[in-house]
Amino acid sequence: MRIEGKAAFEEAVRKAREEAASRRLEVLVCCGTGCLANGSQKVAEALAAEADRRGLSASVGLFTKKTGCHGFCERGPLVVIQPSGTLYTRVKPENAGEILDKAVSGDGAVTRLLYRDPATKKPVEKYDEVPFYKNQTRVAMRNIGKVDPADIRDALAHGAYRGLVRALFDLSPEEVIAEVEKAGLRGRGGAGFPTARKWKAARKAPGEPKFVLCNGDEGDPGAFKDRSIMEGDPHSVLEGMVIGAYAVGAHEGYIYVRDEYPLAVVHLTLAMEQARRWGLLGKNILGSGFDFDIRISRGGGAFVCGESSALMRSIEGKTGEPRQKYVHATDKGLFDCPTVLNNVETWADVGAILDRGGEWFASMGTAKSKGTKAFSLVGKVKNTGLIELPMGTTLRHIIYDIGGGILGDRPFKAVQTGGPSGGCVPEALLDLPVDYEKLTEAGSMMGSGGMIVMDDRTCMVDVARYFLGFLIEESCGKCTPCREGLKQMKVLFDDLVAGRGRPGDIERIERLAEGMQLGSLCELGKSAPNPVLSTLRYFRHEYEAHIERKACPAGICRDLTAYEIVAEACNGCGACAKACPADAITGEKKALHVIHQGKCISCGACFTVCPSDAIRFFPKAERPEAASGGLP
Amino acid sequence: MISLSVNGKTVRVPEGTRLLDAIRGAGFDVTTLCDHPALEPWGGCRLCLVDVTRKEWDGWCKMVVSCMFPAEDGLVVLTDTERVQRTRRVVADLLLARCPDTPLVQKVAARLGVERTSYAPNPEPTDCILCALCTRVCDHIGVSAIASVNRGAGREIAPPFHDAPPDCIGCLACAEICPTSCIPYETSDGSRTIWGKTFEMLRCTRCGRAHVTKEEARHFAARTGVPESYFDLCDACKREDMAKQFTRLSEGARTSP
Amino acid sequence: MNGASCQDTAPLEAILEKYPREEASLIQVLQDVHRAYHYLPCDVLEKVAETLDVPLAKVFSVATFYKAFSLKPQGKTIVKVCMGTACHIRGAGQLVEEIQRLLAIGPDETTPDMGFTLKTVNCVGACAMAPVLIVGETYHGNAKPAKVAKALGVEGKHHAH
Repeated sequence: MRIEGKAAFEEAVRKAREEAASRRLEVLVCCGTGCLANGSQKVAEALAAEADRRGLSASVGLFTKKTGCHGFCERGPLVVIQPSGTLYTRVKPENAGEILDKAVSGDGAVTRLLYRDPATKKPVEKYDEVPFYKNQTRVAMRNIGKVDPADIRDALAHGAYRGLVRALFDLSPEEVIAEVEKAGLRGRGGAGFPTARKWKAARKAPGEPKFVLCNGDEGDPGAFKDRSIMEGDPHSVLEGMVIGAYAVGAHEGYIYVRDEYPLAVVHLTLAMEQARRWGLLGKNILGSGFDFDIRISRGGGAFVCGESSALMRSIEGKTGEPRQKYVHATDKGLFDCPTVLNNVETWADVGAILDRGGEWFASMGTAKSKGTKAFSLVGKVKNTGLIELPMGTTLRHIIYDIGGGILGDRPFKAVQTGGPSGGCVPEALLDLPVDYEKLTEAGSMMGSGGMIVMDDRTCMVDVARYFLGFLIEESCGKCTPCREGLKQMKVLFDDLVAGRGRPGDIERIERLAEGMQLGSLCELGKSAPNPVLSTLRYFRHEYEAHIERKACPAGICRDLTAYEIVAEACNGCGACAKACPADAITGEKKALHVIHQGKCISCGACFTVCPSDAIRFFPKAERPEAASGGLP
Repeated sequence: MISLSVNGKTVRVPEGTRLLDAIRGAGFDVTTLCDHPALEPWGGCRLCLVDVTRKEWDGWCKMVVSCMFPAEDGLVVLTDTERVQRTRRVVADLLLARCPDTPLVQKVAARLGVERTSYAPNPEPTDCILCALCTRVCDHIGVSAIASVNRGAGREIAPPFHDAPPDCIGCLACAEICPTSCIPYETSDGSRTIWGKTFEMLRCTRCGRAHVTKEEARHFAARTGVPESYFDLCDACKREDMAKQFTRLSEGARTSP
Repeated sequence: MNGASCQDTAPLEAILEKYPREEASLIQVLQDVHRAYHYLPCDVLEKVAETLDVPLAKVFSVATFYKAFSLKPQGKTIVKVCMGTACHIRGAGQLVEEIQRLLAIGPDETTPDMGFTLKTVNCVGACAMAPVLIVGETYHGNAKPAKVAKALGVEGKHHAH
């Protein structure tokens, strides 16, 4: 199985392709964590068992395959039939029989399981025609959903390691770096640092050994592209790292995977074992004489370990405390040795760049942000999932054309990008082309690619407070501005949402924000004020309402909001009473229902389910009897 | 030697000098809390922040902690820009909220213009400013009996399991280096207690004073290679002996032909 | 010794065999220990410190720094509610409230019969299925308060309404 030399590699690929072709029909079941959460494991098992029972592999060459995340998580569990390209959504185990019937007969599809376009209301049969997929350009995620991550031959059949072969046999390390520079690749973890520049510095740095690391700590809540890449196409990460190691002269590497991604660890470990057996990792890779091997290091549950110096300390077995980086990691990083750390997606791009050329990659994107970017589109949007698009795509296109617009057709309010270090972008900026510079100018940032869509039922003060709550748990506590500043900022926000805001609070918040931005040791503390400052920039009136009128315009802050049923609109359907977790609503069938203010906890569940728009919310402060619970 | 400017004044320092030392060498002062000449700089308290720029940066500045930033040739350092002062004040204000009753913190804050904290004071005031000098010195002497525990707002300095630290040698380095003296200890006749651990002291064979713990003697003997009998005499008596020897030697030198 | 201990060191021996005896192995060892014992027993930590030649204070520092580790025995089934942003805006808070109602425990607490421990966790990366509830090893996407009892397997049992 071990491959030595270019010719042997071509032969191995040829064999893998032949084998893939012999699988005349493939039933691909998405088994990424998202679909698994929706029961896709049972779907995969049902399909495999039924196909087995019918002897389909022998009779018609039909094989079932578990793949990584297809991306269209909203509609999972997802099944794709190849070569017809039929996409089935919301599949249940009991659908196995009919899916196989149609796959084998080649005669149409199970119509009711097809994706239905909300605009035309018509079913769309082919994967390539579904708007969610049609508009994507998948580079980092090129093979996810197509390959079985547990089978290296499948990866080889789909182009894995071609870039590595070119790098090792046709290019010098300097030429490899030049190719990456031509591509204009910038770090996909959030900071957007030019990858070639980092590699050059590490290559030049004196000292042995050198390390290449993969940052799989994806801590931004709302981002899961790295998880999907590690789970769904681990070889893309391995290939990138071998190329990078060759370029900078490293022979050891680590993939740091956060503790919350156990499946990624399993798939990466298996992929590494297989790669070693085939000579694509380890000693004398492909017979080229180049040695490089990788170890997996699991995180312990700490967002701060996504920060490069904290990550390295974690690999060293220490607490994840960042250090001041006046000496760059490319000079002294892991174990004080020259180190290159890149994000999962960055590594996944490298293989494609070496295979298809830097010029090809740079032909996509904007002037300063080349190539494509993976985004996780989540929140109050109809089509939630994972997408990859050229840099420069507008937010409007992403949210409306691909995302299908706002859930429930409610008004769009903002999209949060960049995780806890990012900010909220309002409706006025929906035509912003997404790239590193434009998002930063707007007061947000690219971050990991998480895009959380928010509707009018989102309180921006609450959003800022949410991120503060998150960061307070994640601060390492080493430096005063972050440790104490986050605590005090949260106190100010707790007061705001509880109606205890005072005049001057906005100025207090801004002063503390500046102190944290300028004084903190690492980016966690420095960027912690971003959600606060960006929501203040675009939604100042909400802050003012909380302070001056003790009101929450979005009706979310429970201490400030009361709910009541509008008599004229209520038809007595009782949906509200059923949804109420506090037993605060009473009413006879088909008669007017009533919310008992004394019992109501203002959670808004009734508002969400009422089909007749019969529930309204208003500031508690406007109904003094309401606040004291004096109403019936 | 490299040349840089601090608040308009030119100074020359050896390459490798850290900025804090260059600034002090130029005659300017910067307050620090977590810095100590015997230990590696840590960069945690953030009070030594200064603005730096270079001619070619066209006025763009960056803020750095001078205790760790290396002095560079051609660097232009401004220790008291508006934003540096504002940031220091926020840091002092936050520390004062954490340690409202601690004299050192009150003094440092007052010096920076913060008389009272504008934040919510700590419901459980502490004297610990989390400068980590105690754990750093304990690591430095090769003991590591205490360490920082938890993270974020719950971070504190403690022995393992908040119990008597098995590795502690009772040397008191942590208590002595602590700038706010917030590590309590007790030394009474022949015994010492710190961090909930009690030590038996060794008595000087000459003057009878209890001068080191058994564990200290063992640890430093192992680290330096001196025999444990080195600790039979206390420092004072050893010095007396040394002085007598020097006196004898110098007398001998004077009287020799 | 403060902290909970255990008597059975057999699983620990097996774990220590797997890794080089150095500080860099510490977190991986602690994770395996946590998986085997469902928490970090204090006597096991002492043995780890000794074997890896890492001061006990540093082992304790690492054990308390990372959220993956508990120093107290945990329930047989760990119930995790993801508090990521997408889950937050899609009602994670209500899931926590429902679990509190059903099991009478709050985050980081364990039921008296050691059956369940509730944890609120950081984003687990299944954001498109928000809100996400994890019971043991099973992920439940698009979780609703009304479905929590079934997911926990306590339908028809405790209802502290």
